[in-house]
Amino acid sequence: MSSMDEDKELVARSIKGDKEAFEMIIQKYQQPLLNYIGRTVGERELALDFTQEVFIRTYSSLHSYKPQYKFSTWLFKIASNFIIDYWRKKKIDAFSLDHQERDNDLPPLQVPDKELPIVKKLEFSELKGRIEQALEKIPAPLREVFVWRHINEFSYEEMAEIKGLPVGTIKNRVFQARELIRKRLEEMV
Amino acid sequence: MKCLSIEQIYLYIEKELSLSESKIIEKHLATCRKCKSALEERRPLLQASASLPLWQAPPDFAQQVMARIFPIRVPLSSWLTAAYAGLGSISLAIFILFLVTGQNFSTLLTGLNHSLWNLVRNLSPVFVKLFKVASLFVRTLQQFFEYIVKALASLTAIVSPQVQIIIITIAIVLIAFSIYGIKRKILIGEKA
Repeated sequence: MSSMDEDKELVARSIKGDKEAFEMIIQKYQQPLLNYIGRTVGERELALDFTQEVFIRTYSSLHSYKPQYKFSTWLFKIASNFIIDYWRKKKIDAFSLDHQERDNDLPPLQVPDKELPIVKKLEFSELKGRIEQALEKIPAPLREVFVWRHINEFSYEEMAEIKGLPVGTIKNRVFQARELIRKRLEEMV
Repeated sequence: MKCLSIEQIYLYIEKELSLSESKIIEKHLATCRKCKSALEERRPLLQASASLPLWQAPPDFAQQVMARIFPIRVPLSSWLTAAYAGLGSISLAIFILFLVTGQNFSTLLTGLNHSLWNLVRNLSPVFVKLFKVASLFVRTLQQFFEYIVKALASLTAIVSPQVQIIIITIAIVLIAFSIYGIKRKILIGEKA
């Protein structure tokens, strides 16, 4: 049985009142969800609380899940909306990149004529540590897609489905996130 | 062919391009040092990003979530058992009192009521005084801490961090000496 089919079966059993089935869903997705939420909000305790809340929200809206969609995509959509609510409450500018025209405002992605070799010079373990620091310093919507791509290993198509945006827009955001991280690394050196 | 875009470089590293597109890019990279250098700069960035340490959930995380979704409810039968036990105990106590004193039920209840009322009447002024003293103490303590917070706030606003450290150190030393002095005075007083 594929992972997708397994998820659908677990959801169907959970709707029928099988508690064990929902516990299996939690066990399967707790780490990917915690890593997404954790890297996005930056605090472990807060991330654990939020992850719990997302699972509770998911359980209470299981009846609205449509089996033609991938369960993981639907789960991360709930998580993403939860994070947006949090940003809204904290008055973090989470929406500035939610408009197509704002994405187009971002600088063009072209190879500069002269570029300092920053990444190449760093040791691999040091580079990872610096990326973690730099990740906290980039805009929240870019951080979100960066985490999905590199930590959750989502495809561009899956991310586009979660956010309800064109694949091109998502790709552009991921590239911008990487370039911004590289820029922050440059500032750190 | 003109130089590559950052987008093409990333898609090439991620193997997201078709075979023909990749071949065109490889052909360009073989002749363009600028684009090759940009690619070499970004490849380790992607490799490191994909191997960032993962956050681990506590081992009982799933159980914690399940406990929040399905809180344990005490069944009605347990509540009824507790109520029966309470009622039984009261009845037994009244029966024992009846056996010991030999008084009938209504006299026993009236006597119990009188004793309770006397207890409340005697203790209430004590409780009122205790409450007044406690509230006065809390208010004084609150005011004291408010002054300390205000003083610290104005201190941090006016004085530089180095001077703040010096002032706080002097204050701690003074308090320590004061406590030591008071202790010695008490000891001398005890000896005298």
